[in-house]
Amino acid sequence: MNERIKLMLEDMLQKKHRQYRQEIYIHEIGGLTDTFKQQKLSDVQRAKKRLSWVLSHEIPVIQPGEKIVFTRTVSKIPEIFTEDEWVNIKNDHYVHEMGRVCNINANYDYTIEVGLEQRRKEVLESIVVHSARGNIKEVEFLEAVVQSIDDIEQLVDRYAQKALKTGREDIFLLLQNVPCRGAKTFYEALQFFRILHFALWANGNYHNTIGRFDQYMLKYLESDLNSGILNSDSALELLEEFFLSFNKDSDLYPGMQQGDNGQSMVLGGVNENGDDVFNILSEMCLKASLELKLIDPKINLRVNKNTSIGRYDLGTELTKEGLGFPQYSNDDIVIPGLISKGYDIKDARNYVMAACWEFIIPGNGMDIPNIGAVSFVKIVNKSIEKDLKQCKDFDSFIESVKGGIKNELNILLPTFLNLYMEPAPFLSLLMNGCIEKARDISFGSIYNNYGIHGTGISTAVDSLAAIKKYIFEEKSVTAEEMIFAIENNFEDQYELWHKLKYDAPKMGKDEDFADDIAVKLVDVFAALTDDLTNERGGCFRPGGGSAMYYLWHVKDIGASADGRKKGEPLSANFSPSLDIKLDGPISIIKSFSKPDMRKMMNGGPLTLELHDSVFRNPESQRKVSHLVKAYMDMGGQQLQINAVNREKLIEAQKHPENYKNLIVRVWGWSGYFVELDQIYQDHIIQRVELNV
Amino acid sequence: MLKGTIFTIEEFAVHDGPGIRKLVFFKGCHLHCSWCHNPEGLSFKKELIVCEATCSHCDKCREACNHDDCKGLGRCIKVCSRNLPRIVGKEYEASELAKILLKGEEVLTGSGGGITISGGEPLAQPDFLFDLISHLKPLHIAIETSGYARKEIFQRMVSEIDLVLMDVKHTDPEIHKKFTGVDNDQILENLQYLCLSDTPFHIRIPLIPGVNDTLSNMEQTAFLLKDAKNLKGVELLPYHQTAPAKYVLVYKKFDPGFDTEKKVNIYTEIFKKYNIKTSVL
Repeated sequence: MNERIKLMLEDMLQKKHRQYRQEIYIHEIGGLTDTFKQQKLSDVQRAKKRLSWVLSHEIPVIQPGEKIVFTRTVSKIPEIFTEDEWVNIKNDHYVHEMGRVCNINANYDYTIEVGLEQRRKEVLESIVVHSARGNIKEVEFLEAVVQSIDDIEQLVDRYAQKALKTGREDIFLLLQNVPCRGAKTFYEALQFFRILHFALWANGNYHNTIGRFDQYMLKYLESDLNSGILNSDSALELLEEFFLSFNKDSDLYPGMQQGDNGQSMVLGGVNENGDDVFNILSEMCLKASLELKLIDPKINLRVNKNTSIGRYDLGTELTKEGLGFPQYSNDDIVIPGLISKGYDIKDARNYVMAACWEFIIPGNGMDIPNIGAVSFVKIVNKSIEKDLKQCKDFDSFIESVKGGIKNELNILLPTFLNLYMEPAPFLSLLMNGCIEKARDISFGSIYNNYGIHGTGISTAVDSLAAIKKYIFEEKSVTAEEMIFAIENNFEDQYELWHKLKYDAPKMGKDEDFADDIAVKLVDVFAALTDDLTNERGGCFRPGGGSAMYYLWHVKDIGASADGRKKGEPLSANFSPSLDIKLDGPISIIKSFSKPDMRKMMNGGPLTLELHDSVFRNPESQRKVSHLVKAYMDMGGQQLQINAVNREKLIEAQKHPENYKNLIVRVWGWSGYFVELDQIYQDHIIQRVELNV
Repeated sequence: MLKGTIFTIEEFAVHDGPGIRKLVFFKGCHLHCSWCHNPEGLSFKKELIVCEATCSHCDKCREACNHDDCKGLGRCIKVCSRNLPRIVGKEYEASELAKILLKGEEVLTGSGGGITISGGEPLAQPDFLFDLISHLKPLHIAIETSGYARKEIFQRMVSEIDLVLMDVKHTDPEIHKKFTGVDNDQILENLQYLCLSDTPFHIRIPLIPGVNDTLSNMEQTAFLLKDAKNLKGVELLPYHQTAPAKYVLVYKKFDPGFDTEKKVNIYTEIFKKYNIKTSVL
């Protein structure tokens, strides 16, 4: 990192760029929404006018020394519907999260290559076609897209004028080329991306993922390196400034917690033909991330059985810094899994990560990977309550659990009917086919699959293992005793509780007794979703990730048969239960590689916490690389590792002022520890106590 | 069948030999180093430990019970909500222990790793040790030892395994006896053998402030090692103030006989003089 980047980083950590944010009064924002209602505008008109409003209110900012511009000054994006209107919409429709298109991966590549002028031409041509057919709605949509291009270009013009006035001729010249024309250099391409990404957030869309940056940006970098416009130092400098830009406005982006903003970048993997495409830019991205030590962009590394240990070492370097990434994703499992769920082989090979770990397809995917979740623990508990006494053997109890999952899906699925999303004309410009078809992306794309998380797998498996062992095999506990104990939260049941908690088989110890149940549970869950379709013709993808449900679902369940008491959290994602004695990471990865994760196509990473002393020297770091590689080679799907030190986390809770930059992996993303709600902080501390 | 007593198995040990290793701790040691970090590894017998620090004194464990596992302990180990009273030490047959250690073997071999046998003192349960080694082969085996063992045992160990990690705590017999409870003559004799052997080894020196961190002790240690054929390096392990925490668990008093607050001296140059690779862990 050179001096210029160091200074910019310093300024950013001190949040100096936030001084430019405008005080826009809530009534002004609300006033806009009210006007939309009064004028009885269509949703497309409203979406169009919202972007115009935001971009026209933006005030250009060019910070000293900055080469890649665009900083948000409008801190709040207006709603397009009033609260009453939302109530009405929700009466008639299923609304996912904020009701906006989110968590997909745009095709930035094409637009950066040809420029907005060319894109406008394409939209205008489509208008001609659709006008001739008398397609009024389609034309309205396309005109909104044109307007969004106009709005962006106007703001770019104002940035250019500002550059001229402040003596930044370099920026003025840069903005004469991009985004109107296609990028010719790496620098132009980075600035172009920044503008597109900026506009997506301004458009109200969120979890705007970055995708395979090392693939679509490589041609610009290579061409500049070949022609001598850049050398490796100056290229890295630009890249690092570009990486900084992801952290400028991220506190304004919607998410469950600070840091949950979906700026996922995917490096490595294979191309459409299946060839390995890790390249110099992939490596440069890892280096930039290592030097900056910021939570964004969040790095995902695609690997396969041929990935060399040296490449894993590059990932371990980042893990060592405590960034909580890279998250590893195993192509050997993911690609065949996606194909079996109906994805075209070329698209499957091109997969990227949504905000956390869910697989999505750049440009072609309008999947909603986190539409809902089933709570395995709740289902097992229901079966205990309802059927345990009648079951004559463990198999019949599993049948009851299977029925429970089915029932849960039957309740859940109809709630997703009649989906409504706000139109997203500008984002549609960046999604394949939307312009030709004159169809807003909110109506869907090639892939319209829904993802269902399955939370608390390990707690459910441990509960089932305890039931199998003590009730059906040893017969040392009766169904009545178990039901009574769970109902009473193990009150006064010291011995039974102790046995369930400390002696019972647990998933994560490489013992088939419990692990076989995990294999079964995954198979059952996957089979039950196999034939389901949604109203958009998509399928349902089961997953083992939890997102924030690992804390949410706890509220609906009491104690469980594994000895977990009421209110105690589940583990995050696809990880061993909390508060149990494990043997270590080798047993953990072995256990968690047993279920057939090709069937779990919504993903869900194993999350491991390793003590930071493990990373003390290059030899020991190499061993972490081997551990990751071993998990992938055994058929693990995804893995994320926290390098942590419990004492440090506890200190950080006491003295947050001293630990502002301490980063942790939460459920599928890295955030600043001190910015998390305490419940999430406590959960991480609890995880750490056990896994190191 | 002959059994051995083990007090812990750790997976993913990364500082005790090459590659990913499982680390198995034999229970029992004839040395009683005043700084010992693993006091629960000193006695050869199974013993009860209780982490009193987090005990809520509900006294549930003091109520009479009929569990076989609790016989003679005076406490019940099957009721504590925090699982505080625990038995340290478990007896295994070698084949049974090997089976546990070999689980995940592909992870160990895939990383060029193996098993490290530590303690306590592995050589203090020699028959069991050799039985275990025969069950673990051909996996890479390392042994961490104080070197305090009859020479036939030590030499057989050296010939049967792949790597030795040996402690040299002090070269002076008097001081050695004072702080560890035993003479060092047998240890130094074994060290001499090791230096001439074909088995690769590392020397580990726990640096104890005011006890062995002197220039003269380091010089003498380095001198002993100067002609070693297969010495891969010297690892200096500065004393950590975490040792006392475990003593209360086994109802022992931590009475180290040296100033634990004192900064340790670290002399690495002396080893460099003899071209011995040195690292500080």
